[in-house]
Amino acid sequence: MTKPEKLIVDGKRLDGRGPLDLRPIKFKAGVLKRADGSCYLEFGGNKVMAAVYGPREVHPRHLQNSSRAIVRYRYNMAAFSVEDRKRPGPDRRSIEISKVSREALECVVLEELYPRSAVDIFVEILQADAGTRAAGINAASVALADAGIPMRCLVSACAVGKVDDTIVLDLNKDEDNYGQADLPIAMTQFGEVSLCQMDGHMTEEEFGTAVDMAIEGCKKLHEMQKQALVEKYGEMVSAAPEEAEARSDGGETSE
Amino acid sequence: MSEDIIAEIKRDYIYSLANQGDRADGRKFDEFRPISVEVGIINKAEGSSRVMIGQSQVVVGIKVQPGEPFPDTPDTGVIITNLELVPLASPSFETGPPREDAIELARVVDRGVRESGAIDLSKLCIESGQKVWMVFIDVHVLDHDGNLMDAASLGAIAALMNTTMPNSRYGFGEDTKLPLKDIPAGITGVKIGNTIMLDPSLDEENVASCKLTVITNKEGALAGMQKSGVGTLTPDEVKYIVHIAKDKANVLREKLEGIQ
Amino acid sequence: MEREIVIPGDMLGEDPKLSGSGTYVQDGKVYSANYGLVDRRSTIKVIPLSGRYIPARGDLVIGKIVDMTFSNWFADINSPYEGMLHISEFPERVDPANMSKYLHMGELIIARVADVDPTMKVELTMRDEHLRILKQGRVIDISHVKIPRVIGRNGSMISMLKKDLNVSIFVGQNGRIWLKGDDKKVDLAIRTIFKIEREAHTSGLTDSIKAYISKELEELRNEK
Repeated sequence: MTKPEKLIVDGKRLDGRGPLDLRPIKFKAGVLKRADGSCYLEFGGNKVMAAVYGPREVHPRHLQNSSRAIVRYRYNMAAFSVEDRKRPGPDRRSIEISKVSREALECVVLEELYPRSAVDIFVEILQADAGTRAAGINAASVALADAGIPMRCLVSACAVGKVDDTIVLDLNKDEDNYGQADLPIAMTQFGEVSLCQMDGHMTEEEFGTAVDMAIEGCKKLHEMQKQALVEKYGEMVSAAPEEAEARSDGGETSE
Repeated sequence: MSEDIIAEIKRDYIYSLANQGDRADGRKFDEFRPISVEVGIINKAEGSSRVMIGQSQVVVGIKVQPGEPFPDTPDTGVIITNLELVPLASPSFETGPPREDAIELARVVDRGVRESGAIDLSKLCIESGQKVWMVFIDVHVLDHDGNLMDAASLGAIAALMNTTMPNSRYGFGEDTKLPLKDIPAGITGVKIGNTIMLDPSLDEENVASCKLTVITNKEGALAGMQKSGVGTLTPDEVKYIVHIAKDKANVLREKLEGIQ
Repeated sequence: MEREIVIPGDMLGEDPKLSGSGTYVQDGKVYSANYGLVDRRSTIKVIPLSGRYIPARGDLVIGKIVDMTFSNWFADINSPYEGMLHISEFPERVDPANMSKYLHMGELIIARVADVDPTMKVELTMRDEHLRILKQGRVIDISHVKIPRVIGRNGSMISMLKKDLNVSIFVGQNGRIWLKGDDKKVDLAIRTIFKIEREAHTSGLTDSIKAYISKELEELRNEK
C-alpha cells in the first residue's frame, strides 16, 4: 500500500469523515458465560473482546496485597488480527500497552474494598484497525462495570492525531501509518487524564487542540458505554426486596 | 484450584443420571448442543470463522503467507496449527505459553486437517525449493463450556472453506479460493461410568473418566483419533464411538453447507 | 416501583449525609460506585446487578471443602475469599490426625460465617442447630445478587417454591442453593430458580413464577 497523496481532501478524510467524527462504534455488554464481566466492542474496523474476572484469589500468593485488591491487565493480539500474522504470545509492545492500560483503569477501581484479591482484566484484539489500545480500554471499562467491580466512574479512550497538518479525532489505519502524530488519550468521566501517550510531531498549540478534541471524543464514548450497560437490563426494572430483610431469611433450613 | 474440585454430590448426580439413561440438560447421549457457524468475520485474516457449540465459543483465523518449504518437501505447502486457551475464556486458563492441554487440542485439530488431505499441499507451491504457501490455522478460544475439541475442529475447517489465497497481494495473479479436497469433522465422546456420551458439557467433561475424539473424512474413513484423560476404554467402547462418530460427523458437516 | 439503573460515576444527590451503600462522596456530592439499581427510600443506596459474594458475619453459606491442613478445613464459598473451618468448630470431636474421616474433599457443608477480619480472613462454624454436611440432593450456583429475589419478601418466594413443588431447599447467602426431592420436581425447581435469576428485575415476578410452576406441574401430571 503506497502513501496516499493527500489524507484530507476538501476538509474530508479519505473515509468520508470530518475531523471530529468517530468511526462507527458498537458496544455489547455481558457476552461471555464464564467471565464475571465482559464486553464485545466494534470500533471502526477493530473487533475487541474484553473480560474481567474478579475480585478473585491471587495466584501466586506472594503477589497479594493485604490492604487492597491488585489490578492486572493483559492486552493480547490474536495471530490473525493483523495483515502479517502475529506470533502468539506477549511482545514488548503488548507488555507496554498492558501496563499503561492498567494504569489508566486502576485509578478508578475502588481497590480498598477487596484486600488480598485480584481484579484480572483480559483484552483480546480479534481484528485490528488502529486505536486498539483505546478500544481495549473502552471495552475493559464496560466489562469491569458488568462484573460488578465498584469504581468511581468509567474510563473512556480515543486516539487523536495529526494528518496533513490537521488535528483529527480517531485515526484509522492509513492515518495512523502515514500521519504526522498519534496521541492516544484516556479520561475519566470527571475529566482526569489517565492515559496519555504521543509519538510524532506536534506544536504546543496543536497539542492543545488535540486535547480538547479528545475530551469531546471521550464524552461521546462515555455515553455509548453507559447505553450498553443500561441496555443489557432492558426496560424491565422493578422493586427488589430489601437486602436487610432477605439476609435474615437466608437461613431457612426446614425441610 | 477450587474450580477443579467437583462437588461430590454433583459427580454422583451426573453418574446416577447416566445410569438411568439421562443427562443433566436432558439431551440424549448422542445429541449435540445447538451449533452455530459464521464465516468471514475477521477481515485481516484470509479466512475466518466463529463457531459455538452450546456456550463454548471459538474464533479461528487463517493467515496465508509465502514462506520457505521444508528441505525434504521442496514443492509442498506448509500447515501450522496453533490454539490459544486465552485466560478470558475460563477462570482456570492462565497466561503464558500454551500448556499441554492447548498443545494437545492444536495437534489434534492439525491431524484432522492434515491426515484427511483436506488441503492439497501440492497445489501450494510457488517456486520449487524456494517459496511455498504457509497456511496458519490459529484457534482462539473465547468461552469454555465443554468440548472445545469439536468446536475447534469445526471452526478450523469452516475457516479454511472461507479462505482466499492472497495471490494479488504478492503479484502472483488473481486471488483464488484455497484448494480443499475434503471436509474432516471431529466428534468427541466421554465415558461416565459405563456410559458414552457425545458433546460433553463442562460438568460432564470434568467428571468423565476419559475422552475420545474421532475425526472422519467425508467418506466416513478415519483421519485422526485421540484418547485423552486417565481413565480407560474397552475395545468395544472405542468401536462404538468410531461408529457413531461417522454418522454424527454429517450433522456437523450440514452446518458447513453454503460456506463460501 | 420503578428503579433507575445507574453506572459508576452517575451523580445521585447533593447531600453527603445521604450517601449509603454502593455510593461515595466527592466534592460534596453523592455518586454511584456500582452498576446497579438506585434505592432512594432512606439513604441513597445502589444495589449492584452483579458481583462476587463477599462474606459477612452471620451469613449462612454452602461451602465445598477444597483443602485441609492440620486442624483446618478450607472451603470454597463461591467468593474471592475461602472460608476456614477449624476442627473445634465442627459439631463432633475431631481427631486431628484423621480429619478426612469427618469431612473430606469435595463434600458440601452448610456453615455460618462466624467472623471476617479486616484482611478478609473468613472463619466458619458448624456448631449450630441446622448446620450440617449435605449428603445427596443437588446443588446449583446463581449470582448471589439474586438471592434476595429467590427468598422473596418475608420468605414468600422460597416458601412458595417449597410448598408448590414439595422439595427441600436451602438457600445460601453466597449464591449456592441445595435441593432435594423427587427428581422431576427438583429439575423444575432448578429451572424455576434460573428463571427467577434471569427475571429478577421484572415486576410481578412472584405471580408470574407461581403461574409458571402451575403450568409446568400440569404438564408433568399429563405426562404420567
